[in-house]
Amino acid sequence: MYKRILIPTDGSDVAQAAVDQALNLAEKYDAEVHALFIADVDAVAYGLGTEQVDRIRQGKFSEMEELREDAEAATGHVADRGEPLGITVHEHHAGGKPHQVIANYAEEHDIDLIVMGSHGRAGVRRALLGSVTERTLRSTHVPVLVVDYQGTGEESV
Amino acid sequence: MIEALAIDPTPLQLLPEALDQSFKAIPAITTIGMLVLFLVIGYVFAVADTDDMWVAGRSIGNVENGMAIGANWMSAASYLGMAALIALSGFYGLAFVVGWTAGYFILLIFMAAQMRRFGKYTAPDFVGDRFNSDGARAIAAITTILIGFVYAVGQAVGMGLVGMYIFGADYTVLVVLMMAITVGYLALSGMLGATKNMAVQYVILIVAFLAGLWAVGLTQGYATVLPQIEYGALASDLGAEFTEPFRGDTSYYLWVATAFSLIVGTAGLPHVLVRFYTVENETIARWSCVWGLFFICVLYLSAPAFAAFGTDLYLSEFGTMWGDGGMSAAEGDVIVVLASQLAGLPTWLVGLVAAGGIAAAIATTAGLFIAASSAMSHDIYTSIINPEATQRQQVLVGRLTIVALGVVTTLTALDPPALIGELVALAFALAGSVLFPMFFLGLWWENTNRQGALAGMTTGLVIWTVATFNSIVPETVGFLGDLAGENNVFFPTLETWVPAIGSALVAVPIVFAVTIVVSYLTEEPPEETKLMVRQCHSPEPMGKDMTAEDVVQSTDAVTDGGEDAATDGGEDVVTDGGGDTVVDTEQPETETDDNQSGG
Repeated sequence: MYKRILIPTDGSDVAQAAVDQALNLAEKYDAEVHALFIADVDAVAYGLGTEQVDRIRQGKFSEMEELREDAEAATGHVADRGEPLGITVHEHHAGGKPHQVIANYAEEHDIDLIVMGSHGRAGVRRALLGSVTERTLRSTHVPVLVVDYQGTGEESV
Repeated sequence: MIEALAIDPTPLQLLPEALDQSFKAIPAITTIGMLVLFLVIGYVFAVADTDDMWVAGRSIGNVENGMAIGANWMSAASYLGMAALIALSGFYGLAFVVGWTAGYFILLIFMAAQMRRFGKYTAPDFVGDRFNSDGARAIAAITTILIGFVYAVGQAVGMGLVGMYIFGADYTVLVVLMMAITVGYLALSGMLGATKNMAVQYVILIVAFLAGLWAVGLTQGYATVLPQIEYGALASDLGAEFTEPFRGDTSYYLWVATAFSLIVGTAGLPHVLVRFYTVENETIARWSCVWGLFFICVLYLSAPAFAAFGTDLYLSEFGTMWGDGGMSAAEGDVIVVLASQLAGLPTWLVGLVAAGGIAAAIATTAGLFIAASSAMSHDIYTSIINPEATQRQQVLVGRLTIVALGVVTTLTALDPPALIGELVALAFALAGSVLFPMFFLGLWWENTNRQGALAGMTTGLVIWTVATFNSIVPETVGFLGDLAGENNVFFPTLETWVPAIGSALVAVPIVFAVTIVVSYLTEEPPEETKLMVRQCHSPEPMGKDMTAEDVVQSTDAVTDGGEDAATDGGEDVVTDGGGDTVVDTEQPETETDDNQSGG
């Protein structure tokens, strides 16, 4: 049923909460997993400076140490967890608006299922920080499994 | 400090009376069209995704980066303020032309390529990593934000004054409106600072400025092809006030202090330096610097001509220029627009000149506010307060910083304490006193250590604050003005020797001395840090995608494998992160093929 499962991850606990669920499904359906890290252009622009967005566009990602380490750690975590289960994990690093990149990636790579974590924020916090998950739901036609971080507790499955 | 300019120490009149203030349709459309163009470029740039960050994209060339440097750099202070200072105080105003260009030589010779090699993100990043200190990082970040504030006040004033010609509304309304547009845009997208957008802003402002200058020169018979040189013929007509060096209270000392402050300030401004981090390599860093200087000179060589034409036109229209009944400070600040208007140029052309001033102000405000937002979001929030910050949180902190800074700037600009050029010079004195010594010593003397940097930056901040509180703040804050007495200066002697706009002349040697002495007296910095400094000067070309830290870490791993404090993570950087799993992330070296093996 599921051949290719996409896990968008930024390395946060929230994102990692979805990893176990995704790997579990992948094992069951013998699917391959795509771990996708997205450098949010807005975060780069406001956090590091707009010049750094140009730097990413120029393909200078390898010299942007901290960001690269974050990216490698985030997708590497998925790869490390998948390896003992015999799951093929493709790591991919991209930049842009997260929900758009996720939707595009899913389309281009024939993804059957997107598994992602969510904060389950409400009210003012949601309005301020927004929800990538929510926007992803609206941007893609691929089924999305949302793993609520608060629902998973400390450890899952 | 106004007395330094040898004009009456009257408070700024915010009514440039001679300026035709009424709503004009075509200039208004030009301005709005320009703002929409920035929006469109920003939008197109923001939505383009980078599918694979390991694949080389289109690189930014010398010329494009040079234009971006020019736009980032040239603010309302260059576009409007420089001509104003030359018109109102003649020879003294040339300190600004000299200071704001000579600084680029220091950048070119001592810093552009070396900073590129160090390869960090923000200016406080350099300070924090070089001196292994979050304290130093925080001081640098706060200084960056403070520079953004002082500098941007000048931009807000400029936008308000020029806006009066175009929209005919009240100064207060226009400052609030123009700042709201700029801040709103920056808080929504942040892409105003992208290289492409900056290059477009440069083209708009330079075309507007030169078109105005040539039109005035031709129609009034001042000049033909090269007004930048031909204006010299006016010198004898303009009178001693314009041409005689160091007349009145303007001393040699003040001239030197101002020029020096502007030079070191140029080499210490965070939003200028970050442009060099992002280019392909050191050679491009150097050439971008040269091109940047060239593009800046195009405007700077033209500004004195515009000032001379404006002064002559003003004299023939109103009779007097200086002293009572002469040109007010506010009129001076719009002299570029005023000259075009007095020359009887068509409204659309005067409007274009005015719109160029707004473009200049917006471009620089964008650079400053984004530098401030990254200082807060990356250097204070993420690096010090909450290392686990998510990307969304960083965006939120950055946006809040921009909005807060915008509000404070707008409020201050409603009753500005000085001319645009002077306000901006204050920001330069700050950058020159606090950040420049850290960049310079940090790059060139490997023994500069944490304690030295902390002591030096604190000293610089104190000197700048004392100088500013002594002569600038009493002019705006009522009760302090009463306390300070007649000239709005607490200690006149201090003001003479450490003038607020030229405080770096005194501060820089002291900060250097303090930093060096304290560094000698305390423990040497870690070997790792010294190697990083050496790497910034190594004659061997560095690997294409490497930073000094990478090189140090990888040689370290080969020699002894041990690493201490300064590094983060301690991972061998040249290999790719993945273990034995199938990884479609390419190694940094192979940038060419667009691998999509996973799909």
